[in-house]
Amino acid sequence: MRVASLIGGGLVCLVVLVAVFASQIAPGDPAAMVARPMLPLFSPGHLFGTDQFGRDVLAGVVHGARISLLVGVAAALATLGLGTAVGLAAGFLGGFADAVAMRVTEAFQTVPTFLLALALCGVMGASLTTIVVAIAIASWPLSARLVRGEVLRLRTLEYVDAARMAGLRPLSIALTVVMPGALVPVAALFGVTVGEAILVESALSFLGLGDPNVFSWGAMVANGRTLMRTAPAVALLPGMAIAVTVLGISLLGDRFATRQRPS
Amino acid sequence: MTFALSRRTLLASTAAVALPSWLRVPAAFAQTKGGTLVVAADTEPRSLNPAIVASNGVFYVASKVVEPLAEMDYQTGLRPLLARSWDASDDGLSFTIHLREGVTWHDGEPFTAADVAFSAMEVWKPLQNLGRVVFKDLETVDTPDDHTAILRFAVPTPGQLIENALPALTSVLPKHVYADGDIAENPANLEPIGTGPFKFAEHKPGEFYRLVRNEDYWEEGKPYLDEIVYRVLPDASAKSAAIETGEIDLTAFSAVPLTDLARLEATDGVTVIPGGYEGITYDLTVEINHRNPILANVDVRKAIAHAIDRNFIVDVIFLGYARAATGLVPASAEAFYTDDVTLYDFDPAAAEALLDEAGYPRGSDGTRFSVSLRPAPWFNESRAAGDYVKQALQRVGIAVELVSADPGGHIKAVYTDHDFDLAIGTPVWRNDPAISTTVLYQGGLPPGVPFANQYGYDSAEMNELIAAGASEVDPAARVAIYADMQRLAADELPLLPLVEFTFTTVARERVQNVANNPRWATSGWADVWLDA
Amino acid sequence: MRGAAEAAARIGAALGQRVVVLLIVAVAVFALLEVAKGDAVDAYLAQTGGGDAGYAETLRQSFGLAGTVPDRLFTYLGRLVRLDLGTSVAFGRPVTQVLAERLPITLILMGSALLITSVVGTILGIVASRRPGGVVDTLVITVALVLNATPGFLVALVGLLVFAVMLRWLPVGGIGTIGRAEGSPALDMVRHLVLPVSTLALTYLALYVRVTRAAMIEMAGADMVRTARAKGLGGRRLLLRHELRPALMPIVTLIGVQGSAMLGGSVVVETVFAVPGYGSLAAMAVAQRDTLLLAGVVLSGAVLVVAVNALVDILYGVIDPRVRLAGAAGRG
Repeated sequence: MRVASLIGGGLVCLVVLVAVFASQIAPGDPAAMVARPMLPLFSPGHLFGTDQFGRDVLAGVVHGARISLLVGVAAALATLGLGTAVGLAAGFLGGFADAVAMRVTEAFQTVPTFLLALALCGVMGASLTTIVVAIAIASWPLSARLVRGEVLRLRTLEYVDAARMAGLRPLSIALTVVMPGALVPVAALFGVTVGEAILVESALSFLGLGDPNVFSWGAMVANGRTLMRTAPAVALLPGMAIAVTVLGISLLGDRFATRQRPS
Repeated sequence: MTFALSRRTLLASTAAVALPSWLRVPAAFAQTKGGTLVVAADTEPRSLNPAIVASNGVFYVASKVVEPLAEMDYQTGLRPLLARSWDASDDGLSFTIHLREGVTWHDGEPFTAADVAFSAMEVWKPLQNLGRVVFKDLETVDTPDDHTAILRFAVPTPGQLIENALPALTSVLPKHVYADGDIAENPANLEPIGTGPFKFAEHKPGEFYRLVRNEDYWEEGKPYLDEIVYRVLPDASAKSAAIETGEIDLTAFSAVPLTDLARLEATDGVTVIPGGYEGITYDLTVEINHRNPILANVDVRKAIAHAIDRNFIVDVIFLGYARAATGLVPASAEAFYTDDVTLYDFDPAAAEALLDEAGYPRGSDGTRFSVSLRPAPWFNESRAAGDYVKQALQRVGIAVELVSADPGGHIKAVYTDHDFDLAIGTPVWRNDPAISTTVLYQGGLPPGVPFANQYGYDSAEMNELIAAGASEVDPAARVAIYADMQRLAADELPLLPLVEFTFTTVARERVQNVANNPRWATSGWADVWLDA
Repeated sequence: MRGAAEAAARIGAALGQRVVVLLIVAVAVFALLEVAKGDAVDAYLAQTGGGDAGYAETLRQSFGLAGTVPDRLFTYLGRLVRLDLGTSVAFGRPVTQVLAERLPITLILMGSALLITSVVGTILGIVASRRPGGVVDTLVITVALVLNATPGFLVALVGLLVFAVMLRWLPVGGIGTIGRAEGSPALDMVRHLVLPVSTLALTYLALYVRVTRAAMIEMAGADMVRTARAKGLGGRRLLLRHELRPALMPIVTLIGVQGSAMLGGSVVVETVFAVPGYGSLAAMAVAQRDTLLLAGVVLSGAVLVVAVNALVDILYGVIDPRVRLAGAAGRG
């Protein structure tokens, strides 16, 4: 699977580069209605053509990389942060608090992730922040369970006992001794979570629950959907951009994921 | 599920005189009786009671079952349905309606003046979204005999207004079905019982509504169709594909993407019909919150008017299926419309000059000030217009942040919480300014009234004009008052009319008598038939 | 006797735990929707085109939206016990009724998609595992991964364009031909479900392929398979009895996980293909701000997931009798 990782790494690098240099590749506001509507592919100055409002599709795809990566990484950090906090608390406090935390975790795991994210975005209104928050609230349980499991395992290990006997307070033991160990499996989840978050964001935008001020790939597909017959590229290109990004991340992350996958 | 079983030659009723060119109705024709018309439906309204919920979504299905007193007509203005004729008293205090005889409800009971009296007093006046305004001064309804109903008003109410309100606001409900219990909870709101050409048969949520022919309809020989099936297809592209493949016969209210129209028009067996919606013209507007001190300045509002290119909206967003508006009264409403008002050409330089003079020069970052903009979420075009207005204003130095919400959240934010600076609105013209247009200018309305003046605009002069129009019984004088209102609105710009638009219908060519009245999609369809 | 009582107690405890979980879901969903700006009346007014302030207040009363938050929560939970989920604003009918109407469609859609993914995914996984790193393996994995990375709505849109609009082999949406009935209704429904089911199945294929493949490769190196091979067993028999059977465990586990994920994915797929199941209902409830309906969909989605997991537990016992024994012994 080394080749796969290389390909994945290459794709991710490409997307990151495009995101970083978006303004150089396609200057200006990607939402600007700059040209004649419905220009075909390979038009001079508009490589990917324009949509029904004269927006440059290439600019949309290029700038969309920023949005997707931003949302993906932010949502993954929020998800893993929330999960880690709950998992640490449950694992350390034990007893009633653990039981409550685990029931709540199960409850959140029972509701289909996308259904919950959809409901949250629906009621909180559409903005990048609410999308990130919604994804985090809908997807934290897996990491919480992982961390809790690690904490329970590590607690019994000798070096934790040693730390306790050395007189460290429980909180410092949690933060300095156990947490670093418990974070290893969480780190492995990072790539997968970013990919999931990008897909969730695109589906929310596709359903019209995205942030109207940014031109994300999902929103572009939703807009281009009505043009599927007349100009399929308007919807297909941003859709393929999503697929390429998520594929790259999953290929790259696979090595960690398979090695660390909990039984 | 039966197809054209019997054929029968019928004489066309009235000869067409001034029909629009797209209306291809031969003077005499062999109508085929029978068949099932399959049409697309976007949504499934919660209630199918058009007497309580006077809205196009409800009418689209329910107007075939529950009839109003009269319908709009291209030749005569109004075509009598349940009413044979009507006349208003000179003092504006009474409005007499002579009802059709020999009409029965779908359950076999006779239709009488008592039903009209009940509908007016118990439903239109207290419960109906639009009737609460138009019938607010209705005091009693006298029924001297079974076929005469006299509406009596406490203060002079223009006969012209009541007449104009007949098509949309006077759906008649059966008293014997609604008399007992809570009208809002009556099961007939979901399975309506009326006098119309079609009877309600079934509703399978998420799939379809089915209406069947009323064999005892009062108009001899009609309706022609055996059944109308409304297939629920919320997705615009799916509707477009379904009409292309013949899975459905017709979609109304511009339900297919505008970009597909050219292709559909070129498709064999499919036709695109742009008329039949004049009676329900929509306006695309920029709603302005005057509570924002910057926007309270009329020169800033004029600058915004100059900054927006209406022709761009017409050409690019509506693909030509719209026209630049001069006010909230559409040009197709010839009785009331005037173009003798101040116009604001697309002129970004003038906009910038006005903003400079008003004391809002560009800052170091090129920005004069920032506003929020909430586009109404219910039309593709209203959302696209939001994107465009944002850019147009940014070009003259006004930074814009778009805020989007679902329909409920949007209504609450704009019309209850006033949590907006600018909004894209889509008010509807309903045949008379006093029905749903003057409320957009009238001051002093309580918060929470949607599609009305929640803009913080309150002008004594405007309020007087509105009050005068609401009680002026002389039609010509009333028209003059509303012309003044249009002029004042163009000078003060409480809100900004951008373009007026109606819809298109896409139909298989075998569907006949499409778009033959100004409220066609929301009328009874008794004369629609399928060419075999 | 003692075993039976213990089993009953165990089942009771598991059931109790699941009820608690569902209760938490109910409260969470209610809390969430209470925070929502704008309520069902505003959504209703948006649909109907306005009215005055009194009209809005009248509606609010009749929708049961008046009162304080704890009042409403208490009312909601009280009704929940009686399986009364309230009245849907968008439909004007009881939520349970709306959900019940759509349950069969949801079960058929989810069931067929789950069945197809698990069977096809397992077969592909086995095929790939025969020669890890080979051409077939690489091809299968690549296709599965690409499909997995592609958003469901894109697969749905392309499927719709190619098979319904361009080739006209399949209908554009819905679950049955309306007003044009011909042929058998069952076959008609199958034709309508081909696109949505295969969209769902394809996008969730990858996990099955990967897990099956990994399990099979692991099993091929496991002691008992080596022993069996040493005993002279080989070929198909070895594959089915000694490798596949233990490898089925993680595959069955996946059904529970996948069921939940697919229910989420069905929102987009059902919306594109106008399938009247839970997914499109959820999207509609959000769009129309139908608080109680949305709560009902989320809650019943959770119930479905719990039910699928219970089913998975039972399947475990069938596949591997040791699970039952171990469970009983562990408690004893």
